Amino acid sequence: MMLNRREFLVSALLAAVLLPRSASATPQPVNPSEVLLNRLTFGATPEARAALAELGVQGWLEDQLARPARDPELDARLASFQLRISYEAEDDGNGFAWSGLDEMRPLQWLNADPASVLPLIDWERPISYIERVRPGDEVMAASLTRAVHAPAQLREVMTQFWHDHFNVHAQKDEFVAVFFPAYDATLREHALGNFRTLLGAMAKSPSMLTYLNNAESIASPANENFARELLELHTLGAGNYLNEFYNRWSEVPGAAEGLAQGYIDEDVYEVARAFTGWTVGDGRYVDEGLETPRTGLFAYIDSWHDPYQKRVLGVEMPPNRAPMADGEQVLDILAAHPGTARFICTKLARRLVADTPDAGLVDRLTALFLETVTAPDQIAQLIRMIVADPSFAAPPSKIRRPFEYLAAIYRASGVKVISPEMAFHWQLTRAGWHQHTFPPPTGHPDTLEDWNTGALLLRYVDYALAAHDEWFGNTTSRLSGRIPEDVTTFGQLVKFWTNRLHGSNTDGADAFLASLDIAPDDLLPTDETERHDYSAVAVAFAALSPQFMFR
Amino acid sequence: MADPILVVIFLRGGADALNIISPSADPDYIAARPELLRVMRKGDGQGIALGDRGLAAGMADLDFRLHPVAQELGQLFHAGDLSFLHATGLREATRSHFDAEARIERAATGAAAGGWLGRWLNHVQPGGQLPALAVGTTLPESLRGSRAAVAPQFNELMLAPGNWLAPALRARLSAGFGTHDLLGATTQDILALSQMLQDRYWLADAGDIRPYVPDVEYPGDAQLSGPMMTVAQAIKADMGLRVATVDYGGWDTHAHQADQFPVLLGELSRTLLAFWRDLGPHQQNVSVVVQSEFGRRLRSNDSGGTDHGRAGAMMVLGPQARGGRLLGLWPGLNNGALEEGADLAVTTDYRDVLAEVLVNHMGLTDPGLVFPGLTAAPLGLFG
Repeated sequence: MMLNRREFLVSALLAAVLLPRSASATPQPVNPSEVLLNRLTFGATPEARAALAELGVQGWLEDQLARPARDPELDARLASFQLRISYEAEDDGNGFAWSGLDEMRPLQWLNADPASVLPLIDWERPISYIERVRPGDEVMAASLTRAVHAPAQLREVMTQFWHDHFNVHAQKDEFVAVFFPAYDATLREHALGNFRTLLGAMAKSPSMLTYLNNAESIASPANENFARELLELHTLGAGNYLNEFYNRWSEVPGAAEGLAQGYIDEDVYEVARAFTGWTVGDGRYVDEGLETPRTGLFAYIDSWHDPYQKRVLGVEMPPNRAPMADGEQVLDILAAHPGTARFICTKLARRLVADTPDAGLVDRLTALFLETVTAPDQIAQLIRMIVADPSFAAPPSKIRRPFEYLAAIYRASGVKVISPEMAFHWQLTRAGWHQHTFPPPTGHPDTLEDWNTGALLLRYVDYALAAHDEWFGNTTSRLSGRIPEDVTTFGQLVKFWTNRLHGSNTDGADAFLASLDIAPDDLLPTDETERHDYSAVAVAFAALSPQFMFR
Repeated sequence: MADPILVVIFLRGGADALNIISPSADPDYIAARPELLRVMRKGDGQGIALGDRGLAAGMADLDFRLHPVAQELGQLFHAGDLSFLHATGLREATRSHFDAEARIERAATGAAAGGWLGRWLNHVQPGGQLPALAVGTTLPESLRGSRAAVAPQFNELMLAPGNWLAPALRARLSAGFGTHDLLGATTQDILALSQMLQDRYWLADAGDIRPYVPDVEYPGDAQLSGPMMTVAQAIKADMGLRVATVDYGGWDTHAHQADQFPVLLGELSRTLLAFWRDLGPHQQNVSVVVQSEFGRRLRSNDSGGTDHGRAGAMMVLGPQARGGRLLGLWPGLNNGALEEGADLAVTTDYRDVLAEVLVNHMGLTDPGLVFPGLTAAPLGLFG
């Protein structure tokens, strides 16, 4: 029997109520609304809970899927944002000179015209490297504000998913950095759309072309960096690397029938040839008197392309085709390949549900992916299927990764995040999270096994305390300033923050308070400094709980 | 002698071994690469001659040289502390970072769980407060299955030191996660370790952590200095360290290799010597293995870089091994000798090197316990 989403939730709720109460404090009863919000947003908030209650699951999901990539309210918030820029003066005596500065400056590059960034990579112009890479820094700084405040939360969650899937290191060099706002915007635009469209936009993204060196891939020999990661990370996945057949392409399963099930090194070489000439329109030198157009966009240079016949995954491609036809056909083959479908769907279900997603769900997602290869809302359809699946209501088992943990604290507490110093970025690297600066192309890992270290728990202690005490300068108001007037005792304060952060019970609170010689009925201090110091007790209690650390 | 210690430095990204230890007189090598991407026999960029000690037949004529930025590696080599092993790698042909790293670090197929260092730790079950340390923020696959501590520095292993709430937070983590089915063991380990470190290193009066003062200066500009200082600190701290890992990234030089590669190799060279001197008498207990997931293509590409190749090189540093030798079977670089016509062929299974170090330095009796199915073929590193 297939239940619709609402019926399913009701039945899950009833099941939770009817289950015999376990003697131990764990497992906690599962609240389906909390589970849904924590899987599809950067953390439940009172506002999100209210919206979900009002719209219902279907209505809330459709509202989220329908929200556009640009939101006026978020744009206004980011427009009021100031990010410090600071560098030393320089003078090499040959005109390569600038004065030093240290100032707060609005974000100016997030929505800039693509060609307008080109002066930043003009090495004839004497400007600080800090100025050159500023566009990438702006995206990094804005990312926490977006995660906390974007009304289109699901789109933001998926944008981060695709950032990790199509990883680019924004600070690799000044080329990646200047084009990074466009890269980020492209991911957000297509985050819920069609995979082939997204894949094509990535292959033509100047940041990606630079990061994986395809911008310099000239026949011959071609640069293989992008080609290999396109197959291994962006589409088929390492599980479909069948290199035991290295030089026997015709023996790869499926090849004889016209489409190989997996790839071998020969495919990497061929795909690299297919993308020769795919580069960046930044005025780079091509030949005597010839340079790429100064558009700040993708450019194709036919004289760099290897035009001869190719064979990719057993598919023959004729020689001397139209510009970009080889690369476009490779992307077509990959985006419609069952191996890609399974790889993407597994990752998606792993992100939104569990480290080891239900095999039946992955099967159904894979079939849906292949049925919707040309649908403009292909990814949204996959998400609908995930949310409707019974396994979606399983108890939370995903650990919040560092960025998600920090964003969830800020969302739950209701403060405004501005991060004018971007201090959160360095704080997150201490826990292995490099927001937009993960060096290898794999992106951040996504299973508990990858994050299960003692140091992570200690960093979460740091983040909870730092968020409370405002050490990062991330917000405009302190958490202790958000305590309502009717909260007068420690017991009430613990209940208040527990409700805000995860809405579950306060088991263990009395013992926790007792360890600080505090009784639940003790009144909160009235002195503001003291009150602030003591309010950390309740925030830490709620934030350092399994209910908050897992989603 | 105290318990032996193994330090593994992994050069992430595929280090171009043909640009580290190079057959500088090999006409195939000279023909395949531009000057910027090879080690020269003469001139300003002249490589450091290695001599012919330990060379297999046919290698002596090729005038193997170290890249000129690796002066310190040359010193360690000529002092008899450091050996190189060339044409090492995975038997299975893979040119994927992910695949090659996973295979090398797991070093087993099928049922054998975890990574090779994790299996060694589980076999030996060393006592001590800090038997294994992964310097960094993630547990490398080689240590999977073990309960190694993971942190870039000691102070990252302390729980809110100096904060008045720390005792309560400790109790909170213990109550909330101490028996958690997913995080229980991790929580117990870190609470014990952080308490021990805080007792030793937290200066309550100063409100600060007692800093590590190395016995020699490390290169100030090298990203590897901090991690290697942490390893040296852990070795000297006498907390029962047996295994430490360090990841050193950036070796995936697909383009403009001549700009990046000398910086990376120079830092490795200078930092390794500083580390070694810093150890002082502790050198007697320590072996360092340097490895990467693969080498790079013999012929460079058209963007001044090299793509993923096959065989690489390994380094073993330590007084227990008989150093100052270049070991391995050199397959040659002519087209027929190259693997698939493209890459330096793998003639030595990397596991043979690791097994020899585990047996001779770490006292493992049966390498099959760590490398299931391996019929060990020692290269004579310790002979």
